[in-house]
Amino acid sequence: MNLDAQILLVLRNLGGSAISAADLASQLGVGRSTIAAHIADLRRHGFDIPASPHGGYRLVGTPEYLNADDIVSRLGKPRVVGRDIRVFKETTSTNDVIEKLARDGVAEGVVAFAESQTLGRGRLGRRWFSPAGKGLWFSVLLRPKLTPQQTTQITVSASVALARAVETVTGLSPKIKWPNDLLVNGRKVAGILTELAAEQDVVRHVVVGIGIDVNIEPHRFPPELKQTATSLSIEAGHVIDRAELGARILRELDDVYSRIMRREFEAVAEEWETKCSTVGKLVVVTIGDRRVRGRAEALNSEGALLLRTEHGHLESITGGDVIVEK
Amino acid sequence: MDLKDIKAIIDLMRKNSICEFELEKEGFKIRLKRGPNGSNAGAQADEQVGANAGIGQFPPSQPVQPMVQPPRPSQPPEIEIKSPMIGTFYRAPSPEAEPYVDVGSEVNPDTVVCIIEAMKVMNEIRAEVHGVVTQVLVENGKPVEFGQPLFKIRPTE
Repeated sequence: MNLDAQILLVLRNLGGSAISAADLASQLGVGRSTIAAHIADLRRHGFDIPASPHGGYRLVGTPEYLNADDIVSRLGKPRVVGRDIRVFKETTSTNDVIEKLARDGVAEGVVAFAESQTLGRGRLGRRWFSPAGKGLWFSVLLRPKLTPQQTTQITVSASVALARAVETVTGLSPKIKWPNDLLVNGRKVAGILTELAAEQDVVRHVVVGIGIDVNIEPHRFPPELKQTATSLSIEAGHVIDRAELGARILRELDDVYSRIMRREFEAVAEEWETKCSTVGKLVVVTIGDRRVRGRAEALNSEGALLLRTEHGHLESITGGDVIVEK
Repeated sequence: MDLKDIKAIIDLMRKNSICEFELEKEGFKIRLKRGPNGSNAGAQADEQVGANAGIGQFPPSQPVQPMVQPPRPSQPPEIEIKSPMIGTFYRAPSPEAEPYVDVGSEVNPDTVVCIIEAMKVMNEIRAEVHGVVTQVLVENGKPVEFGQPLFKIRPTE
């Protein structure tokens, strides 16, 4: 944790009360002039840190834009996810950024946020609507000791982490649409796209890309998304602190990832099943040129959706587009 | 070349699992062939060598007989690219896009040949060899099993 993040952590832990420059300096083991210089720098980045001659520094407000030190100072001590955080103003896609870092040999746990993506993407080349400053668009690099098949555990668990964080920070009750979309009141607020680099039996790395519509106003959604998508601010009725939500998600991701690594995926899978709203519904699945209609009966042990088709046989679905019929 | 040399060649063929050997120089031609499988070679292979080998020395005046087949470089066996996971097979990055590869496409170890999707995990499968695609074994959008062959590749050196 760098000094800026440490200063933010101390100020945040004071919950709005003040600390003198001298106390802050001695607590962090640096000189007062260093503290003054870093406070000035934080202010330039949009942190509202007033100083009174008697009381000292207080943290009143954080910048509108995402700031890596701000997120780091909210994380505590990550085991893996969030050990290294980078924020970009604009990028093609945060999955591209992480893929490049992965090829450069960067350690797992690095997270790249972007305020906006010019080529945000979903499955199979679809565009992901990611307007500047309105959402959380980020990707995480993992290097799990799993087989390619087992990496589905990661995307399942990521949706659980998202659901937990959204619940905690917004008070909403999100549901998971199979396999890992997050829905609030039946509309999509978040999606996860995981890209895998693997050899036959060995995973080289996994890039987990997450997009969350946080503070997108209703009029901003393109017409084709209006019926199916929503944002957390629309559903909650107020603006959501993106840094707080982002940090919470990283903490939850860190938790579920360490469970997977401890071979405790079963517990996460159970949580996923209780949050998954697709089971029991009539669905249409489009896979390539094929459409299958039926009732989602259950999930199998690998997480595949078991569909009782119109023709009466049971088919296990591992991919494709799932549309839930009303 | 005498019988001892030929025996040495046969031994080398057996040791290195070489099925066919041909040598031609002025006024001399030798062709050795053995059973396809090195493991069950033994007597059978030896018999075959005996039966098929044109061992002998032609007098210089006698023209060399035309060969039945033109000489061709020994071709390594085709390699199958198999699915590392249960999932859905996609030949292109998006429905509108051209397939990553087709029959005849040249590939190198880093060439992406398809995507296997399992529960929104998109796994770009790479060729992992230098070669040419000779067969596409699965239709776009179809489910695949773990270990199911997806492509055949004829490797090149």
